[in-house]
Amino acid sequence: MKMKMRRKTFELVAAGCVMGMIFPLHVSAAVSDADFNALKNLVQQMNGKLESLEQTNETDQQTIRQLQQQLGETQKTAVDAEQKSIAAAQTQTLPRGPIDEATVNHNFLMLGDAEIQYVKASGQNGSFLLADFAPIFLYRAGDNILFEAGFDFGLQNNAPGGSGYTTSVNLSFAQLDYVMNDYVTLCAGDILLPLGTYTERGAGWLNKIPDDPLAVDLVPGSGVGAELRGAVPIGDAGKFFNYSVYGVNGPGSADETGNAGALDLGGNVGIRSDGVTSNLHGNPSGGARLGVFLPFPYKPHYDLELGISGQSGEWDNAGQHLWTAGVLDAALHLGPNFEAKGEYIISRFGSDDLGLIHQSGWFLQAGYKLAGLHLELPGINNVELMGRYDNIDDGLGTTTDRYTAGYVYYFTSTFLFEGDYEFVHSTDPTQVNQLILQLSIGF
Amino acid sequence: MNTSKQSKVPLQTFFAAVIATMMIGGLASTVCHADPPSGASSQTNSVESKASLPDTNNVAVKAHLTGAELYSINCNRCHAERYPTERTGAQWKTIMLHMQVRANIPVSQARLILQYLQENSGR
Repeated sequence: MKMKMRRKTFELVAAGCVMGMIFPLHVSAAVSDADFNALKNLVQQMNGKLESLEQTNETDQQTIRQLQQQLGETQKTAVDAEQKSIAAAQTQTLPRGPIDEATVNHNFLMLGDAEIQYVKASGQNGSFLLADFAPIFLYRAGDNILFEAGFDFGLQNNAPGGSGYTTSVNLSFAQLDYVMNDYVTLCAGDILLPLGTYTERGAGWLNKIPDDPLAVDLVPGSGVGAELRGAVPIGDAGKFFNYSVYGVNGPGSADETGNAGALDLGGNVGIRSDGVTSNLHGNPSGGARLGVFLPFPYKPHYDLELGISGQSGEWDNAGQHLWTAGVLDAALHLGPNFEAKGEYIISRFGSDDLGLIHQSGWFLQAGYKLAGLHLELPGINNVELMGRYDNIDDGLGTTTDRYTAGYVYYFTSTFLFEGDYEFVHSTDPTQVNQLILQLSIGF
Repeated sequence: MNTSKQSKVPLQTFFAAVIATMMIGGLASTVCHADPPSGASSQTNSVESKASLPDTNNVAVKAHLTGAELYSINCNRCHAERYPTERTGAQWKTIMLHMQVRANIPVSQARLILQYLQENSGR
């Protein structure tokens, strides 16, 4: 039995070997050349991509390293800045509070006004003109010290003597004000004179009629000297009286003579044309004003102001003749819509050729704002009607009467359009009727 | 000359009449629209007060005027009112010093006006 089993096993194994030799095993994934090449190409592409990714990664790594370096530098800068600010704060010895501008001890400011006119005088060509550019400079040097100065710029044709034009610059005033106490203020320099109130408180945009009253030409508007002024309250209802006392060089002579025509109200400023520092005559002039302001009891816009002023002193170089002037001034407000004001001015001066010259003039001006009529019409509330009568007798044979009717249109409280027609009657043939239109702005 | 004088008279009269008419018209308009005197009682729907009514014959007396009141009294006599917001506090200080000298108003009143302007200034 064992021999049979062994022989059968041997026969099976031999048969298997013979069959394996005759029928080799077929490989299930047979690869053709095309497939191989395709696979080869694919592997090569993969290798290429892998290399590219490796390069990109290297670049990114470099960028990251750079950014890390910059971050480090920025952090270092921030730390340094913080340390510096800490050090600066530690060295600051004085506490710095917020600046309250109202407490600033000095301040520079420019105010002023400008006027543009169209004028049509009877018998003359109508013309536009820059009537005035008048800046005012204020410098406050403390609580009680102010320097103020005003200029007037004007244009004038050079024709017929030449082409072009001349710009004239006039220093209208330049004074130092020192408030010594509640009742006394010292003013010195080229001071505005308190002869009446028109010149002292006037400006192009404040005067509701473009032309100044004729009579103000009888007195100087400014003079070089010094003044003490102040005001004292009367009770608690807003009333007060005020005063001004001053000394100035006074009027002078334009040609060194004492002839009437040589009177020069504003030309004696202390430095002569030959450079000598001297008053043109021997003694200065003195003047004063006393005024009272009476508001109606607890009624704003209802008030009366009265004043009396005067000045006297030599005027000719020889000191032989006096020039003296007196002014009565009054202003009345009855509500916010009505005002009236006027001045009466007289002056006297001696002369070599004509003896004693008497001059006089006065004006009365009234205005009424149509807003007081309570009319619901467009623009009417911005209109103020004006009227004025003024005259002057220069004591040298010329008298002029003038009647002015006009209006003010308020675009704003500081931008005005004024117009007026002046009816003039004068022994001076150059004084004629005229129409004036004016734009004025205060700033 | 006589002719011009004769023609002046009616023209003078006319303008004097115009100015006088303006003044009278202004006065009349002002009087017609005048505020009632202070202290007068007014009709209200409030509960009637048990306290005695003020004497309407006498104007109420105030102890002191405020800066705003002094401002309204003084600061539009020569020019139209300027509003406090137009300037900063420091500018008002400079301008008030200028105005105090120019208008020759009491320093004590100028101080109160300045305080009012600065409190309401355009900072």
